[in-house]
Amino acid sequence: MDSYDTSESTPRQSASSRLKDYFIGATPLQKRLESVRKLTSFIPTPPRRKIPQCSQLQEDNDPQKVAFLLHKQWTLYSLTPLYKFSYTNLKEYSRLLSAFIAAEKQKGLAVEVGEDFNIKVTFSTLLGMKGTQRDSEAFLVQILSKSQLPYGNREHKVLWTGWFCCIFGDSLLETVSEDFTCVPLFLANGAETNTAIVGTWFQKTFDCYFSPLAINAFNLSWMAAMWTACKMDQYMAATEFLWSVPCSPQSLDISYAIHPEDAKALWDSVHKTPGEVTQEEVDLFMDCLYSHFHRHFKIHLSATRLVRVSTSVASAHTDGKIKILCHKYLIGVLAYLTELAIFQID
Amino acid sequence: MDETLAEFIKRTILKIPMTEMMTVLKAWDFLSEKQLQTVNFRQRKESLVHDLVLLCEEKCASVHDAALLDIIYTQFHRHQKVWDVFQMSKEPGEDIDLFDMEQFKSSFVKILRRALKNVTVSFRDAEENSVWIRIAWGTQYRKPNQYKPVYVVYYSQTPYVFTSSCQLKSNIPLLGQNFETHNTTVPLQERTLELDIHMDSRIIHENRIEKERVQRVTQETFGDYPQPRLEFAQYKLETKFKSDFNGDILAERKEPLRCLIKFSSPHLLEALKALAPAGIADAPLSPLLTCIPNKGMNYFKIRDK
Repeated sequence: MDSYDTSESTPRQSASSRLKDYFIGATPLQKRLESVRKLTSFIPTPPRRKIPQCSQLQEDNDPQKVAFLLHKQWTLYSLTPLYKFSYTNLKEYSRLLSAFIAAEKQKGLAVEVGEDFNIKVTFSTLLGMKGTQRDSEAFLVQILSKSQLPYGNREHKVLWTGWFCCIFGDSLLETVSEDFTCVPLFLANGAETNTAIVGTWFQKTFDCYFSPLAINAFNLSWMAAMWTACKMDQYMAATEFLWSVPCSPQSLDISYAIHPEDAKALWDSVHKTPGEVTQEEVDLFMDCLYSHFHRHFKIHLSATRLVRVSTSVASAHTDGKIKILCHKYLIGVLAYLTELAIFQID
Repeated sequence: MDETLAEFIKRTILKIPMTEMMTVLKAWDFLSEKQLQTVNFRQRKESLVHDLVLLCEEKCASVHDAALLDIIYTQFHRHQKVWDVFQMSKEPGEDIDLFDMEQFKSSFVKILRRALKNVTVSFRDAEENSVWIRIAWGTQYRKPNQYKPVYVVYYSQTPYVFTSSCQLKSNIPLLGQNFETHNTTVPLQERTLELDIHMDSRIIHENRIEKERVQRVTQETFGDYPQPRLEFAQYKLETKFKSDFNGDILAERKEPLRCLIKFSSPHLLEALKALAPAGIADAPLSPLLTCIPNKGMNYFKIRDK
């Protein structure tokens, strides 16, 4: 388990200047420390979680429509509830955000070489991307470039994608009034400068707050166990872990990949409670991997830092990056991430 | 006795803890027994020091006497200083030079004085054929600063020389010259050891014996010299799972676990070497890792026998 110094929280600043710190000025370490500061306060984590299954609602969502969400690396953020956000105003929001982005780029902020100022922003809802009916509807924001081809055909190239969702977010929904929309999990793909600009606009418009969502070793272990527990017809990838050794004079990375069938066999041997994953099982699963490694190399992996886990279901990096590889368990993966996001907001 | 000297003696005596006062003064052997008897050692330290300084004045203490007192104080408190270690290297086949302490001392002073007029050099022989040398440096126009001396400790039967940290790094080569004339071979080779940690009694080492064993085993395995440069090692394992603590797990499974392990680092062998001392690995490290330089391989397939 990682341990960090809990540094003093920075004093409250206005939302937009705070965001600037995070997205433009802050070093990755500052961002990390701030998000970890929240993680190190006492966590009453549930000792058990349900193994992801295909949820009823997910049956509704069209695999084709969400295919573009898979096999992409998403950077994770937690997001506080949006004030007076309305799903009926999405066209208006598109227009306003477009204008804002154009203005920011004109100002000379975050201009990339060769970038086309001709951009279009779209807001759209993602149907079926929820855990229960009570969850807010997920929605998608995309920045597209309008490059004009000689024949007048406009080809829209997606420059940046961000989506907002809430999967089994009851614990958060219960705490807010009707003026607020809860979409605590935000996933972004594309240039960080665009993420910053979109983030700034949201913060200004809906008085909300984005925070990078780091995933600590404890949660990475849980993810590895849960995703190994998922029933798969076909394994696409090995189950892989990446550890970083903290105190050597030279950085040292240890990657440990195990054949997915063998990982499943190990899990099945450890797993006792049907339909659920318990803390003891996660610990035992990880201990088995550690002891197998130690038997060969005499190195205590538990003394190093788990940085990345990867399975056929999904892969996650401690810096708050995720790639979802399997449509079947998309909701399950998002549910865990929503839980982490909500915890960070509280 | 001039004011600056009196002040220096006063400050030197003030540094000495009351518990050590008598011992140090006796070792100094400058003030006679009779004189010391006239002093009240039970009074406040300030007044005691005042009386002692008066006695020194009576006896016309010189800079050298004061320097000697400083050496003795430092010998008692050597653990409070940070020392650099130098090793003199010899060409193979050279005979051990016969060492004459008096000759050494006189030429030492000559060499320093040749370079710098304003320098105070003092010697005190100590245990095991060692000599403590105190050097207070001045400049061309200024008298030596007695408050910032450098100490050099030379064990004449060994190739080692210890120096207390010197602010003026430029003087090290000068010291080096001194030793060159006596060991006619190559100049001093600096090898800084972390002596200060071992000398500071406030630091307690837990598991000292185990730590020393780990260091020794690591050194035996890896040697003293820099490791060959390697960035990558890969192991394909097909071995059965054997649990230490829970016999049931995968007990019935005949097939081995198929694993692929990759180690990567800008300098892999140095990183592996540091693992046991850091407590992250056991010592000795697994032969799967330590065999890399010997075998000249870094891709391995491991199966159960």
